[in-house]
Amino acid sequence: MATATAGVSTSARGVVSSKAELPKPQLSKGMLRLPWASGRRASSRRLVLVASSPSTPPNISEKVVESIKKAEETCAEDAASGECAAAWDEVEELSAAASHARDKLKASDPLEEYCKDNPETDECRTYED
Amino acid sequence: MATCAVYTTPSLHSCFITSPAKTSLGFHQRQVIFFTSRRLTKRGGGSAPEVSCSAEAKTVVIGLAADSGCGKSTFMRRLTSVFGGAAEPPKGGNPDSNTLISDTTTVICLDDYHSLDRTGRKEKGVTALDPRANDFDLMYEQVKALKDGVAVDKPIYNHVTGLLDPPELIRPPKILVIEGLHPMFDPRVRELLDFSIYLDISNEVKFAWKIQRDMAERGHSLESIKASIEARKPDFDAYIDPQKQHADAVIEVLPTQLIPGDNEGKVLRVRLIMKEGLKHFSPVYLFDEGSTISWIPCGRKLTCSYPGIKFAYAPDTYYNNEVSVLEMDGQFDRLDELIYVESHLSDLSTKFYGEVTQQMLKHSDFPGSNNGTGLFQTIVGLKIRDLYEQIGAERAAAVAEAAKV
Repeated sequence: MATATAGVSTSARGVVSSKAELPKPQLSKGMLRLPWASGRRASSRRLVLVASSPSTPPNISEKVVESIKKAEETCAEDAASGECAAAWDEVEELSAAASHARDKLKASDPLEEYCKDNPETDECRTYED
Repeated sequence: MATCAVYTTPSLHSCFITSPAKTSLGFHQRQVIFFTSRRLTKRGGGSAPEVSCSAEAKTVVIGLAADSGCGKSTFMRRLTSVFGGAAEPPKGGNPDSNTLISDTTTVICLDDYHSLDRTGRKEKGVTALDPRANDFDLMYEQVKALKDGVAVDKPIYNHVTGLLDPPELIRPPKILVIEGLHPMFDPRVRELLDFSIYLDISNEVKFAWKIQRDMAERGHSLESIKASIEARKPDFDAYIDPQKQHADAVIEVLPTQLIPGDNEGKVLRVRLIMKEGLKHFSPVYLFDEGSTISWIPCGRKLTCSYPGIKFAYAPDTYYNNEVSVLEMDGQFDRLDELIYVESHLSDLSTKFYGEVTQQMLKHSDFPGSNNGTGLFQTIVGLKIRDLYEQIGAERAAAVAEAAKV
């Protein structure tokens, strides 16, 4: 899945920032199968955009880019120093945080969130016989 | 703190002491409270002392050494799921908290014990892997306090900002899991652990996983990912890797041997290295304990698709310790492969036939659900549950003995 999304995101790179505002990503998940099944290419572009994995929240994404640049600069001066290692360690830490943020976005379903706090409401009642 | 458990035998119920309680043991309990409050005020935490001394509720502490971050890892989710209930970050607290809390389990991220924040580490030129960046004294103090049933104010390390945030209150749970880079580094903390696990990812697999994780990220390239791994390697090998020898169970993840030249890291060879001779832990085995077995389940009774499944089991030595190694190479494709394999493994500590399969299915969307990583993480989770129940039964028996006297 990751390799597929990497392929998709390169083509959709220009529009990555607006992806966050696209409404109802959940709906499109179900519709995902349609373009391949029916062979309709016209609508496939819009659906393909949403199909790629959720983007990292912009602030973390910025931090990752900055830290990589800084690390490359620091290591250009002295590749064996502690500063170089610390800089790349920071990159690793931020990449991990970005990946966690992506997972959190992916996992949030508004109904599930609501029901976690209010299990007794009508929408959230479950019946196990 | 053991005295607390012994003296409360008349009522084997939990006793929550926030003020001197009116029982026949008033004198002893008051003593305990003074001791507790003094310790808490020394750390500057202003919360009221909470001593829960229940005969069966002395905390069991599990250590997990992993490089992948804190608390949100798949292993943690599988582990907490075995005990029932989903683990959530503490409600109403810092949204960037690394702690996970469920009904029975609390997972603490050891990054919270960083003594240097991100700027501090940059100035000193140390990575987070370096022991100089961590406060082991505080780690030991707080883990010991939680193990003894005392709540603590634990600092929070915010991974997004890289700063140390104000502390959060952690109440002693039934099971405390400490996850991070250095759970077994400090010998005092090591002594407190009832069980320890080390997740050993080989370099090739680590590289493949990091590529999958980071290539979609803007700014990253193959070179930057490689450079990041290379730069951290010296500190990792010096400080983190040696913890392997102290672990009770090591889950080693290697590239598969079934597909020659595979470097995608999708099919994995996973080895579960289990220490022999431990009190509350009996290793899983295949067919005949202590013998050497090589098993390919696919054949007449079970059809598997490419690349198939291969198991191996053998006794071995690992860093001068007697161990048993159970190994799985390949992937599960179908439910019946999983249940077939489960029915042939012995000493899984399951409560009913098919429990491993059920747990794996419950989280079929987690990474590793179709290979040895998911399988062995689930099995380790069941072993920990077994360990917890054994320790609980032992303590209850000890308390009953003392009551008779």
